[in-house]
Amino acid sequence: MTVLLGRFSLAVVLTLAPAFASAAETACPQHFVGRAAPDLANAKLAPQTRELCYSEFALLHSGVTRTPLWSAEHLTRAQIDTARALDREGTFHPDPNLPRRERTELTDYARSGFDRGHVAPSGDMPNRQAQQESFSLANIIPQNPDNNRDLWSDIEAAVRTLARREGEVYVVTGPIFQGEDLQQLNERVLVPTHVFKAIYVPRRQQAGAYVAPNAPGDTWKAVSIAELEQLTGIDVFPALSSEIKTTAMALPDPDPPRRKPRARRQVEEMPLRERMPAE
Amino acid sequence: MKKITPFANEADSVGLGDLTIENRTDQVSVYGSLDLTRDKQGLKNARALKGLLDKVVRVLEADKKLPDKLPPPKAPSRVKNPFQ
Repeated sequence: MTVLLGRFSLAVVLTLAPAFASAAETACPQHFVGRAAPDLANAKLAPQTRELCYSEFALLHSGVTRTPLWSAEHLTRAQIDTARALDREGTFHPDPNLPRRERTELTDYARSGFDRGHVAPSGDMPNRQAQQESFSLANIIPQNPDNNRDLWSDIEAAVRTLARREGEVYVVTGPIFQGEDLQQLNERVLVPTHVFKAIYVPRRQQAGAYVAPNAPGDTWKAVSIAELEQLTGIDVFPALSSEIKTTAMALPDPDPPRRKPRARRQVEEMPLRERMPAE
Repeated sequence: MKKITPFANEADSVGLGDLTIENRTDQVSVYGSLDLTRDKQGLKNARALKGLLDKVVRVLEADKKLPDKLPPPKAPSRVKNPFQ
């Protein structure tokens, strides 16, 4: 825990300590709050999962959904400044670190009507190598084009601005699969019903998550990390205290100043069905 | 801007200002925003965008079997949620 410096270090160490026993094993702890990878509270998520560690993010890939279940990043002000100076350039590719039977191929998305939506955003990546890694299909979900290009893109930008302002932010992004049945691309890739982006701001010791439908529109909902676990079956920040997890922080508004707002609405009510983690 | 061959693959993605350009076999997606500023950077960006659009037009013009309208995307199937 020597990485935690400053006036909050004692409190953080104390709140982190009990969680280590249950944290998922990881080969790249540097991407996670308190070096603890997200925990799968719902055991049904666990089959055919593999952690992939990349230079600027880590993800847990599911061979059942053929998507990530989460991608995690530690964003710093310096990284965002470097990333903003880098043009987008990448090549979507099947992930060579996954067995063929578990991964998606480019053909799965062809003529699907869905965007290949980055989970860890390419816009967060500070160099060519990291950016190209973000174009791995292991880091991609079938995303509604309107959602990907507009609201979700602006949520990604709002989190970058927050990371610059606060110095650092931990981010875990992923899909939510709700309901009795789901859409499936090419009889292989499950289509998320919603997307989430959870953030933890160490300087404020506050956390919360954006949740939005994987559908056209401008509505999003803010939830606490504890509420997010009920929706996803995943504890995205196992190292945080229950006090931080149960208090939803005020999330930055994703309305960009560059153009006329489209009447974005943060809603109190969204038809999300909570589910208790399976035993 | 990296050169792309329109409709040639499902892989290329490039940015131009805040525009994102994605190559698909059934479409080339262009989204985001771009200010073509009245300076040398604006000229460079305008040429890059024109170069891309010229290539798209050439490929479409050369297609003797170009349909009036593409059929709609393949409808996804429905499966039971494995996590419920």
